[in-house]
Amino acid sequence: MAISPTTFAIAALLLISHLTSPAASLSSDPIVTELSALQSQSPTGVIRLSDSLLRRILSLPTPRPFHALIFFDAHHLHSKPELSLPTLKSEFALVSASFQSNNPNHKSKLFFFEVEFQESQSSFAQFGVNSLPHIRLIPPTASDVKTESIQMDAADYSRLADSMAEFIESRAKFTVGQINRPPVVSRKQIAFIIAVILIMTPFFLKKLISGNTIFHDKNIWMAGAVFVYFFSVSGAMFNIIRKMPMVIADRQDPSKLVFFYQGSGMQLGAEGFSIGFLYTIVGLLLAFVTHVLVRVKNKTAQRLVMLFALFVSFWAVKKVISLDNWKTGYSIHAYIPSSWQ
Amino acid sequence: MAAQETSQSAIFRHAFGNVLSFTVLLLIGVMAFSIRLFSVIKYESVIHEFDPYFNYRVTQFLTKSGVYDFWNWFDDRTWYPLGRVIGGTVYPGLTLTAGTLWRILNSINIPLSVETVCVFTAPVFSAFASWATYLLTKEIKGAGAGLTAAALLAMVPSYISRSVAGSYDNEAVAIFALIFTFYLYIKTLNTGSLFYATLNAIAYFYMVCSWGGYTFIINLIPMHVLLCIVTGRYSPRLYIAYAPLVVLGTLLAALVPVVGFNAVMTSEHFASFLVFIIIHVVALVYYIKGILTPQMFKVAVTLVVSVGMVLCFAVLAVLIALVASSPTKGWSGRSLSLLDPTYASKYIPIIASVSEHQPPTWPSYFMDINVLAFLVPAGIIACFLPLSDASSFAVLYIVTSVYFSGVMVRLMLVLAPAACIMSGIALSEAFDVFTRSIKFHLVGTTQNPQENAGDATKVTQNDVKSEKSEDTVKERSSRKSKKKDKENIEKPSLVSRVEKRLLVLPLETSVMAVFLVVLLGAFYVVHCVWAAAEAYSAPSIVLTSRSHDGLHVFDDFREAYAWLSHNTEVDDKVASWWDYGYQTTAMANRTVIVDNNTWNNTHIATVGTALSSPEKAAWDIFNSLDVKYVLVVFGGLVGYPSDDINKFLWMVRIGGGVFPHIKEPDYLRDGQYRIDSQATPTMLNCLMYKLSYYRFVETDGRGYDKVRNTEIGKKHFKLNHFEEVFTTHHWMVRIYKLKSPRNRIRGKTKRSKSKSGTSKRSTRKKNPWQ
Repeated sequence: MAISPTTFAIAALLLISHLTSPAASLSSDPIVTELSALQSQSPTGVIRLSDSLLRRILSLPTPRPFHALIFFDAHHLHSKPELSLPTLKSEFALVSASFQSNNPNHKSKLFFFEVEFQESQSSFAQFGVNSLPHIRLIPPTASDVKTESIQMDAADYSRLADSMAEFIESRAKFTVGQINRPPVVSRKQIAFIIAVILIMTPFFLKKLISGNTIFHDKNIWMAGAVFVYFFSVSGAMFNIIRKMPMVIADRQDPSKLVFFYQGSGMQLGAEGFSIGFLYTIVGLLLAFVTHVLVRVKNKTAQRLVMLFALFVSFWAVKKVISLDNWKTGYSIHAYIPSSWQ
Repeated sequence: MAAQETSQSAIFRHAFGNVLSFTVLLLIGVMAFSIRLFSVIKYESVIHEFDPYFNYRVTQFLTKSGVYDFWNWFDDRTWYPLGRVIGGTVYPGLTLTAGTLWRILNSINIPLSVETVCVFTAPVFSAFASWATYLLTKEIKGAGAGLTAAALLAMVPSYISRSVAGSYDNEAVAIFALIFTFYLYIKTLNTGSLFYATLNAIAYFYMVCSWGGYTFIINLIPMHVLLCIVTGRYSPRLYIAYAPLVVLGTLLAALVPVVGFNAVMTSEHFASFLVFIIIHVVALVYYIKGILTPQMFKVAVTLVVSVGMVLCFAVLAVLIALVASSPTKGWSGRSLSLLDPTYASKYIPIIASVSEHQPPTWPSYFMDINVLAFLVPAGIIACFLPLSDASSFAVLYIVTSVYFSGVMVRLMLVLAPAACIMSGIALSEAFDVFTRSIKFHLVGTTQNPQENAGDATKVTQNDVKSEKSEDTVKERSSRKSKKKDKENIEKPSLVSRVEKRLLVLPLETSVMAVFLVVLLGAFYVVHCVWAAAEAYSAPSIVLTSRSHDGLHVFDDFREAYAWLSHNTEVDDKVASWWDYGYQTTAMANRTVIVDNNTWNNTHIATVGTALSSPEKAAWDIFNSLDVKYVLVVFGGLVGYPSDDINKFLWMVRIGGGVFPHIKEPDYLRDGQYRIDSQATPTMLNCLMYKLSYYRFVETDGRGYDKVRNTEIGKKHFKLNHFEEVFTTHHWMVRIYKLKSPRNRIRGKTKRSKSKSGTSKRSTRKKNPWQ
C-alpha cells in the first residue's frame, strides 16, 4: 500500500502533461492540433502522410512551428533484403517513440511521418525521391522542399536508431535521449521461462543427485571442448567482431572469388574455418591413432589407416606452414653454424 | 631370490628415472633462461620499452628506502603538480620479488646492480614457470607428460614475447604464479591435504600481488568446482581444495592495496562466493546421505531441497540486487568485453583502439603457439580417457583460455601454458604408443617373441604400476572408494594388455610416425628460436637497422635523457606526450607532467591541447604548469614511424575531448592528415609541427620527411617563445626550452599602454588553457 501514493502522483503528473501539451499547441495552429491528434493515435507516434496532408503542411507560412522528418516507404520493395526497408522503418518508429516518451514537451516540435509510394506518388515526385531508402528532414524555414530540406546520408542510418537520433540532434537541435528498445523477450515470456525453470529445477536436481544427466556423458563434453577449440583457433571471434564476409570478390576480376587474404592483420571467414579445420584435424587423427587404432586387431587395417593419417597430418602441417609464410611474409629460418654451409 | 632381484632392479630403475628427470628439468630451466638472452646478446643488458622503466624506478626506490616507505610512497616527480600515490596504485608483486632477489644476492656478497636483477628477473621466472608446468602436468597425466610440457613451455613464443631479458613487467612473474597456483590447487584436489590448500591460498595471494589477471584464477577454479559438482564428482578433497582458497584467498587479496575491497565488491569475484555457498549445500547433502538410511534420505532430500532452494534464491536475489545497483553491473569494461566479444567495439573505443585488445586471426596462433595448435586436440581427448578431477581441470583451463584468447590477442599469454600442457600430454601419449610398438617388434624379432614381448610390456607396465602404487600409498587414506574402483578397473586392463599383447601398431608406420613427430618438434624449436631472436627481442629503446653498408644503431633516446639529467636543474619540469613519461622519470630523473599511467584524462588533454595550439598559447599553458623543457620525438630524418607527428591526431582528439576549441577537422585537409604544402594553416602553426620541423630544411635542403614520404609544408620559420637546446644525433629526440618572458622596456610599455594595456590585463587573468 505504501506504493500507491507515488503511483497516484506519477499518474497525475502524466495526466497533467498529457493535458497541457495539446493545450499548448491548441493556441498555435489547427494543423498542429490535427497532427498531434494523429500522433497520439499512432502507437509509435509516426504519422501516415498523405498527399493532401503534405500539401496542407507545406501551405503553412514559413517558419512553420515544427520540424518534419519523413521516411519514404514502398511496400512492394520490402521483399528486397539489400534495401532493408522493414528494419529501417521499425528503427524509425523506435526513434519516434523514444523521442516522444523522452521529450513530452517537444512532442509538437518534431513530427515523424511516413509516406507510402503506392498511395502518395505525387509526394515522392514533389521531393524528387527516386531511390530508397530515403529519409528527409524539413526544417521550419524550408519553403522549397526539394532543395531546402536535408536528406539523411546512408552513414546516418547505418547504425540504425542511434545514428538517426544523432542526425536529429545535429540538424534539428532536439535531443532524442535514450532509445527505448523493447526487450527481446516480453515480460510475459520472461515470467513463463522463470516458471518453467522453477518447475524443472527439482526434477533436474533429482536427476543430478542420481548422476544421470546429459552432463554426465563425457563424450558430449569432449566434443564441446574440441569444438570450442576449433572455433577459437579459426579466428571466428575476429570474424564476428569485425563482421568479416566468408569470401570477397577479386578486385581485378570480380567474377573470381578470393578465399585467402594476404596480410596478417585480416582474415576472411572461409579462410579461418579451413585453417581451423587443419589445426584440429591433425590432433584428432593423432588421438585416433593413439587411442582407438591400437585396439584394432587387423594389422593391414592398422597399417592403411595409419598411413592415411600420417599422410593427411603431414599435408595439413605443411599446408599451414606454407600458407602462414605466404600470408605474413615471415621467413622462418634456423641458425645453423656457418661452418656447416 | 628372483623376486628380490626384480624388486632391486625396479628400485634402481626408479632411482635412475628420478635422476634423469631431475637432470632434464635442470636442462629445461637452463634452456628457458638462455633462450631469453637474445635481447642481451644482440643489443645489451637494458630495460625494455615503457612500463618496465616505471617498474625499474619503483624497484630502485624500494631497494633504497625499504618496504614501508615504498608502501607509503607519494611520487611528486610525475603528474606535476598532482603527483601520484605509487604504493596504493601498483601491483607490488614484481617489485617486491626483484627487490628481495637483490637483497638476498647482496647479503651473500654478490654485488649485482638493481638494474641487472631487474633485467634477468623475467628469464629466471620463466625457468620457474617451466618447472611449475612440470609439477602441474605430472599431477594430471604423469611425469613423462610433465617433462614434455615443461620443455614446450620453456620456449613457447607467446610467453617469450613477454619475458625476454629486460622485459621487466608484471606478466614476467605472473605466469609463474598462475601455473603454480593451479598446480597447488590440483595437488590439494589429488591429496586432500590442508597443507597444500594453505600453500594454494598463499600462491594465490602472490598472484594477486603480481597481476590483474588473477581474476582468471578466481573464476576458473569455481567453474571447475561447479563442473565437478554438476557431473557428480563431489568429494571431500574438492571441498578442502576450494573452501580454504576462497576464505584465505579473499582475505589475503583484500590486503593488497590496489585490490582492497574490490575483492568482495566487484562482480568478477561473485562467482567464487556463489560456488562457495553451493559447495556447502552439496557437502551438507552428502553428509546427510551418509548418516541416514536411503528412505530417510529421500524424505530429507525433499526437505533440504525445498529449504535450500529458498535460501539460494534469497542469496541470489541479494547478489543480483547488488550487481544491478552498480552502473556497469559491477563488471569492468575489459571483463565484459570478454563475455560479450562485441561489447568493447560497440561501447568502449579506448579499449577497442589498443592493439593488444584486438581479436587475433589464425596466423597469430601459428606465430604464438606454433605447432602446439595441432597437438592440443589430441591432448584434450587424452584428458578424457580416462577423465579424472585433475584432467577435467586441464580441459576447462584450455577451453576457457582458448576462448578468451580468441577475443583478445593479449590473452594468448594465458593460453600458452594450457596449450603446452595439452601438447605435452598429447606428445607423451603418442611417443608412448609408438615407441612401445617399435620396442615390441624389434625385441620380438631378434629373440624369442613370446617371452620378450611379455617382458617388454611388463617393463612399461612396471613403470606405470610403480608410479600408481606410490600414488595410492600416499593418497589411499583420503581417496574415495570411487577412485579405488577406477584403479581396480585399470589394473585388469593392464593385465589383459599383457595377455593379448595387442595394443601396438605396425613397426614401419610407427617408425614413420616417430620420425614425423620428431620433425614436428624440431620445427617447433626452430620456430621458437627464430621468434625469440628476431621477433621479440628488440628493446625499443635502442633501435637498429641493417642496410647495405652494415648495422646502424640509433641510441637517441638515451642520449636525450642523459642530456636532460646532466644539463638541467633537478627540479625542472619536462613536458612530453605521455608515452615518454615513464622513461623520462626513470632515466633522466626529471619531473614530468603526464606519464604512461593514464589515470587523469584532463591532465593528458591539457598537454595534448598545448601541443596542438599555436606557439604563444602553448607557451602560456606550459608556463602555467611550470614547464621548463619540452621534449618531442621526431622520426622524419631516419624514418622512425612511431614518432609524435604520427601520434599527433590522438593528441588533438584527446585534447579536443576536454577543451572543445581544439577541433580535429581543423588539422585535416578534406579528411586527410597531411603535413605537406596542402596542410591546413592550423596544422602548420601548431606547436607540434613547429617543434618537430624546426630547422629541418637545413638537413637536406628541401625538408623531405622519410616517414610521411613527402616534403614538409612550411620549411622556414622562427620560434618566438621556445628555443632549441638539444637535438640528438639522428634528430629522433628534440628538446626545447621555454624562453623566459621578455623584459618590459619602459618606452614600449608606455607606448602600448593606451592600446593594449587593458586587453593584456584581461588576457593574463584568463585561464590559459581555454
